Amino acid sequence: MPEAPEGGKRQARRWSPRPLLRSLHRDAGYFAVGLTLVYALSGLAVNHIAEWDPNFRNYEATRELGPVPGDDDTASRAVLASFGITTAPREVYRAAPDDLEILFDHRTLHVNTVTGHVLDEGQKPRFLLRVANWLHLNRGKKQWTYIADAYAVGLLFLAISGMFMLPGKKGLLGRGALMVLAGIAIPAIYVGLSGGP
Amino acid sequence: MPSPQPAMRRREVLYAVGGALVLALGGGTYVLASEEDVRRAGNRPDGRPRVPPNQYLLKALRPMGGSEGDPSPGAWRLKVSGEVEQPFEMTFAELLAMPQVQQTCDVHCVTKWTVLDSHWTGVRIADLAARAKVKPTARHVVFEAAEGYTSNVLLAEALAPNALLAHRYEGNPLPRPHGPPVRALVPDLYFWKSAKWLTGIRFTAGDQPGFWEVRGYNNHADPWKEERYA
Repeated sequence: MPEAPEGGKRQARRWSPRPLLRSLHRDAGYFAVGLTLVYALSGLAVNHIAEWDPNFRNYEATRELGPVPGDDDTASRAVLASFGITTAPREVYRAAPDDLEILFDHRTLHVNTVTGHVLDEGQKPRFLLRVANWLHLNRGKKQWTYIADAYAVGLLFLAISGMFMLPGKKGLLGRGALMVLAGIAIPAIYVGLSGGP
Repeated sequence: MPSPQPAMRRREVLYAVGGALVLALGGGTYVLASEEDVRRAGNRPDGRPRVPPNQYLLKALRPMGGSEGDPSPGAWRLKVSGEVEQPFEMTFAELLAMPQVQQTCDVHCVTKWTVLDSHWTGVRIADLAARAKVKPTARHVVFEAAEGYTSNVLLAEALAPNALLAHRYEGNPLPRPHGPPVRALVPDLYFWKSAKWLTGIRFTAGDQPGFWEVRGYNNHADPWKEERYA
């Protein structure tokens, strides 16, 4: 049986917010994993938009079929048969007497019906990245704005609560302060050196 | 028994590979640089350098994303509205029936790439403005595109002889990433002004900053003044 504290009274423990902070930080951190992956991966992808298309793989190919006579319907059926395409096109459009366009969801066949030259061009969506970019760039609008705002507030909470989680030399009174200052210095120095906006 | 002497020590192999890489990269850079120098040389007819400051050269347009619109020429409609006496809508076939311009020009993206001598076919925006009878009160043009994208341009720049509604690029109909069936082409401004998947041209008396212009990009976007950001 444990001994009673001196004087027979239990000593009251000093209340600290750290356990509560740690719990909240831990749960918020777990909760933020999904959205962090979405925003971070999309951020990397969109950051380099000048070097690649983060939403689609684009392709172009040409093929020579020989003259494709007949009305729009006949000509398009002949072209689709040559390509082995069984999907019905969204649209067949005669842009000029010798220029027939056959459109699918992410593909267009531009057919010169006189020469039989076909330009086959289209896009294959990068499924996960396209969805992530759509969310990141808030293309869908509507309620996503509120979710994105809540996520941003959640990140602020994670950053601020993280600073106060550890006591002592590794906390905000020691090494932690240096790391916080170093992190703040990166954008500050960059703005200074680059001349800023 | 002594181990056999290798024909080449590891350090020598590394030196050889490193030297070859330096030579290859250096030589390649020299070839590319000399080719680029030739293309960069010279000025435009207006006296400005052909390549705006801090741009690098590409051989073809990059996609650059955007909210895709409907590429269907059959469904396409262009609405010309605003400060005009005769607002109208036109189909793709009607656009093709207007006087067509074939144009070779340079285009410049705000992300620092430039494509020289790109080939376009389209209709002068000035011809559409003439058909709509733009009122003297008009000072600006807003290009309206799919999913609510807009970009704003000064009227004088939209009516320049090289400002088009383009429907062909490099001899072919506009490919999917470049805004088919019709996009704006204002080559003397950064390329985000040249709205893809175009659906409307609105003439306005007051300036109405567009999608990127209200998100920190420059309202005017002159590449020679490096007007990238607000």
